Amino acid sequence: MGKITDELYERFKKNLESVNGTCVRASKSDLGKAVAEILKEAGIPDTCIVETPLMKEGGVIAALEEAGIKVYTDHIRLNAETVKGGISEVQYGIADLGTMVQGRDVIDERIVSTMSEYYIGIVKGSTIVPEYDDMFDVIAALPEMPNFVGFVTGPSRTADIECVSTVGVHGPLRLSAVVVDDE
Amino acid sequence: MSSEALKQEIRDALDNTTLARTLGTFCKTYPARREKAYEGVDFEATRNKISEVKRYAADHIDEMIEEFTKNCEARGGHVIHARSKEEAMEKIRVLVKEKGVKTIVKSKSMASEELHFNTTLAEDGVLVQETDLGEFIIALEGNTPVHMVMPALHLNKEEVADLFTDYTKVKNEPIIAEEVKTARKVMREKFITADMAVSGANVAVAETGTVFTMSNEGNGRMVGTLPKIHLYIFGIEKFVKSISDARWIFKALPRNGTAQRIAAYVSMYTGACDVVTDKENDTKEKKEFYAVIIDDPGRRAILEEPEFRPLFECIRCGACLDVCPAFALVGGHVYGSKVYTGGVGVMLTHFLVNEGRASEIQNLCLQCGRCKEVCGGGLPISDMIMKIREKSVKENPNAIKKFALDAVSDRKLFHSMLRIASVAQAPFTKGQPMIRHLPMFLSGLTEGRSFPNIAQVPLRDVFPTIEQNVPDPKGKIALFAGCLLDFVYTDLARDVVMDLNSIGYLVEMPLGQACCGCPASTMGDVDNARKEAEINIEGMEAEKYDYVVSACPSCTHQLHQYQTFFEEGTEMHKRAVELGNKTFDFCKLFYDLGGCEESGDGKPVKVTYHDSCHLCRSLRVTQEQRELLKNTKGVEFVEMEDHDNCCGFGGTYSVLYPDIAAPILQQKIDNIQATGADVVAVDCPGCMMQIRGGLDARGIDNVKVKHTAEIIAEKRGLI
Repeated sequence: MGKITDELYERFKKNLESVNGTCVRASKSDLGKAVAEILKEAGIPDTCIVETPLMKEGGVIAALEEAGIKVYTDHIRLNAETVKGGISEVQYGIADLGTMVQGRDVIDERIVSTMSEYYIGIVKGSTIVPEYDDMFDVIAALPEMPNFVGFVTGPSRTADIECVSTVGVHGPLRLSAVVVDDE
Repeated sequence: MSSEALKQEIRDALDNTTLARTLGTFCKTYPARREKAYEGVDFEATRNKISEVKRYAADHIDEMIEEFTKNCEARGGHVIHARSKEEAMEKIRVLVKEKGVKTIVKSKSMASEELHFNTTLAEDGVLVQETDLGEFIIALEGNTPVHMVMPALHLNKEEVADLFTDYTKVKNEPIIAEEVKTARKVMREKFITADMAVSGANVAVAETGTVFTMSNEGNGRMVGTLPKIHLYIFGIEKFVKSISDARWIFKALPRNGTAQRIAAYVSMYTGACDVVTDKENDTKEKKEFYAVIIDDPGRRAILEEPEFRPLFECIRCGACLDVCPAFALVGGHVYGSKVYTGGVGVMLTHFLVNEGRASEIQNLCLQCGRCKEVCGGGLPISDMIMKIREKSVKENPNAIKKFALDAVSDRKLFHSMLRIASVAQAPFTKGQPMIRHLPMFLSGLTEGRSFPNIAQVPLRDVFPTIEQNVPDPKGKIALFAGCLLDFVYTDLARDVVMDLNSIGYLVEMPLGQACCGCPASTMGDVDNARKEAEINIEGMEAEKYDYVVSACPSCTHQLHQYQTFFEEGTEMHKRAVELGNKTFDFCKLFYDLGGCEESGDGKPVKVTYHDSCHLCRSLRVTQEQRELLKNTKGVEFVEMEDHDNCCGFGGTYSVLYPDIAAPILQQKIDNIQATGADVVAVDCPGCMMQIRGGLDARGIDNVKVKHTAEIIAEKRGLI
C-alpha cells in the first residue's frame, strides 16, 4: 500500500460525511495541530488518548495541551467515565464506506472509541483500502485473527423511536477521522 | 379459518394509529431506500453467495460446531454446546450463580429470548438489562417486539416519554433527541457497573472461532468492551466456515435490514480479549468469554426437513417483514411468538417457539411473493409458508373451509351452486351492476368492496354462440376459463377469443374443465388441488391444441404447478408437463404470437397498470402487457406508484381477513387515483373484481378497470 491518492481520500471523506462524521487530512508534522483544532472547535475540554508512535511523531499530546485541552493517558477505563473526548489510532480504513477499522486488541483503544462523546480516529492514508471486499481480503489473509476487530462507521445512531434517524446513542455522539499522509 | 382471538388481535393492531403511521411510512419508503443502499452491489450475486456459504455450513454442521469450539477455546474462550434450550439455560444459570453475577447488560440476542433468559434469571434475583433502545422501551412497557429489527415501532414519542418519566422519576419531554439522551444516561451507568455482558451473534465463524455482532447504537460495543464476563448466545444456524465467507452476510444485512450500506459498528470477537478488571489500579486481563451454542431439537428438525432446510440460510434481516402487505398493516405482535415475526418468522416460530401459533399466523400470508424477491438468503419464504399451511390443514381440517373446497373441486356441485347463486342474488342486486352480498362460501362480508354479479348464463353456455371468423387459421387454442371468466366475466372471455381470432387463431373451450385448484392450494388443501388437477388434465386435452390460453394469471400459475402433484414417469405427470408447457397467460401468448402491432382507434385514453402478484412474480411477465398497451393508438400510458403491490384480493384471503385486505385495497385505489388515469388495466380477473369493487364501494365512477384483452378488443374495434 502506498500513499493515499487524492481521489481515494475524497471518497473516504465523502462517505464518512454521509453518515454524519467529519474528516480532515494532515501531514505527519501537522497531526497534533489538526487533532487539537477539531476538539477545540467542538468545545471539548478534556480527552483520553491512547498514544502511538505516529501520534508521538505528530506531537499530538503537546498540541492538545497547548490548545488548553486536558489530556489523560492512563487509567483510561476510569477516566473515560467522565472525560468527553477520545483519541486513538486505527489500523485500516475503507474509502467506499467511510469506515475506520480497529484491527488489534488494545482495550484502551476500544474504550476511548466507544465511551467518549467525541471520538477522533487517526488513520494512516496508506492503510485505507478502496472497498469493503478489499478489507475482508486483508483480514482473511492475516496470519492470525486478532482477538478483536471492529468496523466503526460514523457516530452511533438509532431509528428506534418512530423510525426517526437520530445520531448519538450509547457510543460517540460525534466522530472525526484524521487521515495522515504517511508515505 | 383463524380463531376469533387472532381476528381480534388483528383489529387491535389496526386500531393502533402510531403503528399504522410509523410502520406504514417505513414500509412504504423501504423499497426505494433499500434500492439506493444497493447501488453498485449486485444483490442477486450477493444472496447467492450467502445461500452458498450458509448451505455449506448447514451441510457440515457438526464439523462447524467442532471446529468453532476448538478454535474459540484455543484463543482462551469457553464453549457451552447445549443440546436443548433447557440445558443451555440451566448451564447459564449455574454459571451466573457460580460467578456471583448480580447485574447483566444485554445487547440484542433473539436466541436468548427463546431461552426465556431474562425472566429465568430474574427469578434468581439477577437484574438483566436490555440495552438496545427499542428493546429497552418495550421492556419498560412489558411488551414484545413488534418488528425484528425495530422492536418499538408501535409506540410514539409521547408514549416513550411517559415510560421514561415513570422509570427515571424525572419528567421526560416527548422530543426524540432528548429521549435518546435519557437512554444514553440511564444505560451508561448500567454498562459501567454490570458484572456480565450478553450478546447475540449475527455470524459465527468456524475456522477462527470468531463471533460477529452488527449494531448501530453502540450498545453492542459497550457490552463487548466493559464487563469482565462476556456471554455470546447463538443458534447453530449462525455458522459459516471462514471469515471470508462472513463478508457476504454483512453486505446484505444492513442494506436489507435498515437500508444502510453498513451499520455503525461491525465487531468481531475471537476468543477472550482484554478487559480492565480493576479500573482504580488500571489492571488489564483477559475477559471470561463464553460462547453458548444452541443446538436444540427444533433446529435439528429444520435440518431434517428438506423443504425447510433453507431456513438455515436466513440472515434475520427482516426484509420479508418490510415488504409484506399484511405485516405493514398489523405489525409483529399479531404474529405472537414473542421472538420472531413476519414472513420468515412464521417458520421460525413453527420450529423454534410455538407450533400451534404458527399454524394460525400462516393464514396472514397473501401469497403475493414479494418476500422472496428481497430475501437476503434467497429463501422461498411464501412457498415455505404454504407448506406450513398444508401441514396445518392436514392436521386440522376446518369444516367450513373444507366444505367450500370440496364443493369447488366437485365440478357439478360447484356449478350448480353458482347457478343457484345467480338466481338467489336477484333480490339483492336491484338492477344495479354490483351487489354487496353473495350467497354460499363467497359470502364473507368485506368492508369497502362490492362483489360483482354472477352471470345469468355461464360462459360454457355462451361460448358456442360466439362467432369466430378465421378463414385460414394458423392454429387452435384451448381456452381455460377459470371460475371468474366462466361465471362472472363472460364478456371478457369473448374479448380474448376476438383478440386471438384477429391474429389468426381459432379458440375452443373444452367443457371438461373445472376450477383450476388455486383456491384449494392457497388454503393448503393438497388433496382437493390434486383432484382438480386431474379433472383439468383430462378435461383440457392439451394434446389436441397448439396452446392453452388463460386470462387469469392465478389459473395459469396453477396449471404450471400441476406437474408437481404427480410422480415423475406416470402418465398423469407426462400430461401435466404437456399442459404446463402449452399454457400461457393471455397477454404473453398474444404478444408472442405477433399481436403487438400498432393499432387502435386513436381516441385518447389515459391508462395505468396494476401488476397481479402471480403474473409479475410467479410468471415473470411484466413487459409484454405494457408493450401491448403502449402500442395501442390513443393510449397514454402512465405508471402508478407501487404498481406491483398486491391489491389485497389474494383469492379467498379477502374473505378470510377483510380487516387486512381492506386497507391494502385502499392504498391501491389511492395510487390509482393519483395517476389521473381513466382506465386501470389489469390481467387478472381477481384483481379486476377486487379493484372494481373497491372503486364502486367508494362511488368512484370516473376510473374504469379493464382487462388488457378487453382494452385491445375495444380499441382495435374487434367487438
